[in-house]
Amino acid sequence: MKTKFELKKSFTLAIACLLLTSLWAIPSFAQQASNESFLEKMIGTAQAKMVKVFGAGAGRVDSFATGFIVSDDGKILTAQGVILDGKRIRVVMADGTSHEATILKRDRVHQVALLKIQAETPEHFKLSNEPVGEKGDWVVALSNAFKVADKQEPLSATLGVISLRTELEARLNKRDVAYKGELVLIDAIVSNPGAAGGAVLNIDGNVVGMIGKVINSSETNTRLNYAVPNNFLAKFVANKKTDQVVESATEAPALGQADLGIILFKFGGRSNPAYIDRVVRGSPAADANLQTDDMIVSIAGQKIGSVKEYVNMVETLRPEEEILIMVKRGVEIVRARVTPRQKKIN
Amino acid sequence: MNQLYKFRKIAFALAISIGLLTASSFAQDSATPELQTKQDSAIVGNADQSTEFSQQDHFRAMALTSKAFRGATKKILPSLVTIESFGGVGAIQGRIGGIRKQGEGNTTGILVSRDGYILTSTFNFIQQPPVITVITNDGQRRLAKVMGRDDTRKLCLLKIDGVSDLPVPEIMDLDKITVGQWVISLGVGYGDLSPAVSMGIISAKNRIGGRAIQTDANISPANYGGALVDIEGRLLGICVPMNPQSQAIAAGVDWYDSGIGFAVALSGLEKLIERLKKGERIRPAFLGIEAAANPKGDGLLIKKVVEYTAAHEHELEAQDIVLELNGTPVNDMLALRQILNKFEAGLEVEMTVKRNGEKKKDKFKLTLGAPPKPKGEPEQLEPPKIR
Repeated sequence: MKTKFELKKSFTLAIACLLLTSLWAIPSFAQQASNESFLEKMIGTAQAKMVKVFGAGAGRVDSFATGFIVSDDGKILTAQGVILDGKRIRVVMADGTSHEATILKRDRVHQVALLKIQAETPEHFKLSNEPVGEKGDWVVALSNAFKVADKQEPLSATLGVISLRTELEARLNKRDVAYKGELVLIDAIVSNPGAAGGAVLNIDGNVVGMIGKVINSSETNTRLNYAVPNNFLAKFVANKKTDQVVESATEAPALGQADLGIILFKFGGRSNPAYIDRVVRGSPAADANLQTDDMIVSIAGQKIGSVKEYVNMVETLRPEEEILIMVKRGVEIVRARVTPRQKKIN
Repeated sequence: MNQLYKFRKIAFALAISIGLLTASSFAQDSATPELQTKQDSAIVGNADQSTEFSQQDHFRAMALTSKAFRGATKKILPSLVTIESFGGVGAIQGRIGGIRKQGEGNTTGILVSRDGYILTSTFNFIQQPPVITVITNDGQRRLAKVMGRDDTRKLCLLKIDGVSDLPVPEIMDLDKITVGQWVISLGVGYGDLSPAVSMGIISAKNRIGGRAIQTDANISPANYGGALVDIEGRLLGICVPMNPQSQAIAAGVDWYDSGIGFAVALSGLEKLIERLKKGERIRPAFLGIEAAANPKGDGLLIKKVVEYTAAHEHELEAQDIVLELNGTPVNDMLALRQILNKFEAGLEVEMTVKRNGEKKKDKFKLTLGAPPKPKGEPEQLEPPKIR
């Protein structure tokens, strides 16, 4: 296992070196050959707008990340993280010069931050307010994953396609808050240390999104390769609030006020399907003709895979708001419209 | 676990040139004939001729491949189904009996018959869900039964009732699959009914005893049971976790998204599907010997015979030397495994064994057994009867 891992690591390094040399060669190559590849040109142009971010590290948390310039007065987007919590944040520009940065604002829910350096930055990305790129479009991710690039060295470029634009349940590693909102999933591998804050570009060189922090998808139990979409970033940058923004995307919680009148079988384990043991007489469930032995398949379009998921789901329901419940009865799937009632308080 | 990383996609030049190939094949109806001619000259021509390509052409070719990816996705989409599991074995510290826990999301399956047979990966049921439902592309949700399973291919067959005329995908001949061709992997594991796509190429054919094709497109729990299609949306294979060194149910999951991914080619599997319809369970072949290369000559020197295995039943003993298996000389364990990988439990192999030093050579047939159940691995796939 260990050797396998090391092999892969060395392979990666070798490729990375190759990549670096090829990128280094850009200026001379560009002079000789008039037909510089359009991707080479696109990446070359983008590199000038990319920065390396260095800050605080803690334990196993890395002290480096990536960022990109989004204004002519030194505003830089990067990923929110521990690295911004130190005394000093240092930003290294494409030409190798180093600047001290201050935090303009950060959004701990979406895990993005806006930095500012005291320098003019004519080379910068313009963020579109409309989503850029659709499923299947080629994207190039630029990042300083594994801190491969130093000082003026260009960042690593990886190619992939947009896999999916979706909202999904994802949780950050290490008991952090959940990400809210749409993500752009890509198939280039960017869930690596130091890649967060990197730019995901389409082949026109427009920003599709920003590589986010490493998060695990609870749906697949795998690491996600994703970008925070450009339209969200544009909104975040344009937002006038200069202090720290902590947006809460959730609506007012329902606080478990709804009652369906369903009592489930309890088998002791937590992963049992939600079988109905008893339906309370005169309850909303009884009105909808739900029966003992029905297995709840979904509530309001949400799949209910277990007793635990049922309990969590009912917590979010509101009294007097009709919902669709699907149950398995024998080998049939039965649909029922149920209007939860106000929970009685004993 | 350890996220593997790949830099495979930095081959821009490759992408562009293959992109042109693609553009012509996909865009037969839309692309200009001019592009076609230019492409031909680029393929046969030398460096000078290829400069006829403007960067604009390259750009357009790449944009066309994206269009082709979307076209392929659209074509296969009606044949993909979303599988929901209800209940099952709980996980302890993210693991189930030593196996990496599945995600909580849905999984993918592929329709293989008009009357509701669905092929998917056994990995999707390691939690042994007592109830499984399937949502077809028209949004209908139905209860699914588990039919047979093939442990050697990590496949299992589901059946939904009360359906007819479901859209079945066009399956591509294994002979026509070529190393280096574009492929797209699709799966609904990220929770959206529209599948996530990943593109790559066929890396190799004839992997894992000839059962799998290898790809560098992302293969992960998000698309196990999902489709691997060509640029025109024809089905090449079904994505599964695999590892040539292990037959365990979740072996290969650790390689997710690593650029090393496998799919079972569907061409020629009709007989297998018939067996699975009957509820058969196909297990990997297991011989039951511990052996090493014979230090004094050809063959494999048996060190130990595992009890209650095929080797034990056929009275093989320590110090016997295995010379040939099914007519192929075996000089190391790797060769033995390669041959065994092509078989399944219950099949007969011919073995040539040398016993008592130089004295006697014996050729005999033996019926291969199934490997003993790995510790902690779920045995049953069939839903336990809750009620």
